Amino acid sequence: MSSSGPENLMGAASSDDGFDYLFKIVLIGDCGTGKTCIVQKFRSGNFIQRHGFTIGVDFSMKTVLVDGKRVKLQIWDTAGQERFRTITQSYYRSANGVILVYDITKRSTFLSLQRWIDEIRRYTSSHVLLILVGNKCDLEEAREVKSSEAETVCEYLPEVFRNVETSAKENTNIDSIFFCLASELKRRHENRQINTDESGTVKLGNGRNLSTCSMCSYKLS
Amino acid sequence: MDDDLPTEYDVIVVGTGMTESIVAAAASRIGKRVLHLDSNEYYGGLWATFNFDGFQKWMEDLKISKHDSKDFKPDLENGETFLKASNQYSTVENIAEEWFISHEADLPLVLTKDTQTDGSNDTSSLTTEKTDEDKNDKKETKHWSVDRIKKEYRRFNIDLAPKLLYARGELVELLISSNIARYAEFRAVSRVATCMDGKLIQVPCSRADVFANKTVSVIEKRMLMKLLTSCMDQGADSPEFDGYHDKTFLEYLNTKNLTPIVNHYVMQAIAMSTDKTSCRDGVNRTKHFLNSLGRYGNTPFLWPMYGSGELPQCFCRLCAVFGGVYCLKRHLDGVVVSEDKCKAILTGKQRLSLEHLVVGQGHLPPEIVASTGENQISRGIFITDRSIMQGEKENLTLLYYPPEESDQEAVTVIELGPSTNACPQGLFMVHMTCKRTKTAQEDLAYVVKRFLCAKTLESNVSRTPTDSHTQTVATDQHQAQEGDKGANEGTIENPMPQVLWSLYLNLPASDIKLNESAPSNIHLCSGPDLDLDFDFAVNQAKEIFKAMYPSEDFLPRAPDPEEIILEGEEIPGPKFEGDNTSGENEKQDAEKAEKEE
Repeated sequence: MSSSGPENLMGAASSDDGFDYLFKIVLIGDCGTGKTCIVQKFRSGNFIQRHGFTIGVDFSMKTVLVDGKRVKLQIWDTAGQERFRTITQSYYRSANGVILVYDITKRSTFLSLQRWIDEIRRYTSSHVLLILVGNKCDLEEAREVKSSEAETVCEYLPEVFRNVETSAKENTNIDSIFFCLASELKRRHENRQINTDESGTVKLGNGRNLSTCSMCSYKLS
Repeated sequence: MDDDLPTEYDVIVVGTGMTESIVAAAASRIGKRVLHLDSNEYYGGLWATFNFDGFQKWMEDLKISKHDSKDFKPDLENGETFLKASNQYSTVENIAEEWFISHEADLPLVLTKDTQTDGSNDTSSLTTEKTDEDKNDKKETKHWSVDRIKKEYRRFNIDLAPKLLYARGELVELLISSNIARYAEFRAVSRVATCMDGKLIQVPCSRADVFANKTVSVIEKRMLMKLLTSCMDQGADSPEFDGYHDKTFLEYLNTKNLTPIVNHYVMQAIAMSTDKTSCRDGVNRTKHFLNSLGRYGNTPFLWPMYGSGELPQCFCRLCAVFGGVYCLKRHLDGVVVSEDKCKAILTGKQRLSLEHLVVGQGHLPPEIVASTGENQISRGIFITDRSIMQGEKENLTLLYYPPEESDQEAVTVIELGPSTNACPQGLFMVHMTCKRTKTAQEDLAYVVKRFLCAKTLESNVSRTPTDSHTQTVATDQHQAQEGDKGANEGTIENPMPQVLWSLYLNLPASDIKLNESAPSNIHLCSGPDLDLDFDFAVNQAKEIFKAMYPSEDFLPRAPDPEEIILEGEEIPGPKFEGDNTSGENEKQDAEKAEKEE
């Protein structure tokens, strides 16, 4: 445990493996753009073609190695709340990174980006790292959004750190976006460009991780 | 976007207040089909927390009457009646907003020590930095102006119904047992204050605090410990309290021959009682307070980071994770009743059928309401420039202030600093809450007058900025004005906090009841209540759930992500389409990512 802050972010399970950094990543974007598939592909290497809405998936954890450091990513899925554009503000709270997904075969999902950006600006901290992802790039014949269009849009969105096309089905660039997030967040954290100082915040729990929390170390029951 | 909702549900929940959200989560958790609606575009209703901009918008929206007079006749089947939803039980009244500071113009820049050596005439570089708020914060301190507060609106979180959690209260236990705790973060309330002889002092809460305290004598300390131990060990049913069941807590304490200071600590800070509080209530509150001590911090209380409005959303998130459908900005037009059962609701041209309707008080048809309730709430919200009680570090303070006169109500004061995300560095957010007797402004006036300076700050008055929490006594004009009063009372050492912005409002009563004609499958959720904590809402949610599903578990622990195995996923999983190279890809990707750095 090299840094003092990020461990405290999580009071939850998986105390089995240690890590050097922990970052919260949230996925957003219109319904049906493949957010859950992206996470699943990254987490377990599986592509699960499911129909309907995301049920029962809360967040996933995966640790990646960057420069010999274990960077743990806590990746949050929308739980289907994007369907009627009703994502809770608390979903965005303390997110370090955002993956904003559109579907290259469905133009409406690209046109929604501005509204998602507005929401990110409203609810996340100004230091959040944003990656724009055009998913389903294996379906070239059904393409409705040119990659050059996404590039043009990004010129007007200074907060977009990287713009990339992916395919969860063919595993194109999936791991890459998460490694990119992990290494950049680690770099920014080391340079203190992002504030992960959680000192004094309390995570409720069964007392499992609280002993590491500075404020609550003195008395645990 | 397609706005059509699926049309059949087990439970429809209208309103995203605390009780509603807990019930929604509980029903969804056991596999019920849940639809959760709110007519607002935000979560929480009267439990919401807004940033500064959102709060202004909320007030604007209140001015526009939401009563849509369109009298539409829905298509009904035989024997059905339609009851139109009304928002008359969620009326917010007596909103009074006031600024005590100027707009941007004509305000001199005040430099902090860091930059003062550079020369205060170096204003050109400062002006160019204005655009970068974060840099500004570290390098110089400007006066707070109306424009600056509005510009930094995102850094405020303003609660309509600020509430604390007892570290061993119903809500903390529920958050832990249901695993919903992972969605929220808290801060421990760092001190409980009380006002004694006109002076604010910190109440010693822990054993260590009690013994470190210099204002209490050794004998008093023993006295206090003995009393607290007997409340803690025995509770109100103990023989110790026989004969006091119809007496007040004060009457009981008076038999204990306590010194005035010990009596004061127990009455006002620990039991948060007035001289009318019953012995039973007093003992139970003392027990509750002591039980919660030492679990997470120096005091028994926790405050939710980003405000109380986060908590309903945590339950909504769980509801959604288990398949609950969410739709905001969706108005309830009314309910369809047939043979003493609510069969469906009408919303946005759709008829949605249900087994149970869980509805916040802001959407009830008047036909089924018995009484409008009596316990209305007076609220005051203040942005100030320093703490009511300067300390060595930033504090999160709870103060219970009992009435000075018989026609006043006890006021609960919660002061939040920047670390709670309630406000930016250099400012504090003060919340006052009491039972309504007149208007919020009148009800709270006596407490405001005592602790805050709510006078317009002249723009030419230089007020020492408070970046540090240990600031030496400032001698400014304002202090001089307050000096007379301070001298008279002979107590207030630090200058009073200057109010930059204040807001008063009256919230509706939370004790509305349904009448006997109300269908048994309509369940009423109250709005925010007067209690300090959320226990009322948690208990109401439990009762509603039990009425709906008597044999089911209430919010059993949700699995951790690691415990969920998705369909088609086995561990260790077969790679997609026999792809054995994904490990390779990972490595390559990692290298790629590193190169890009």
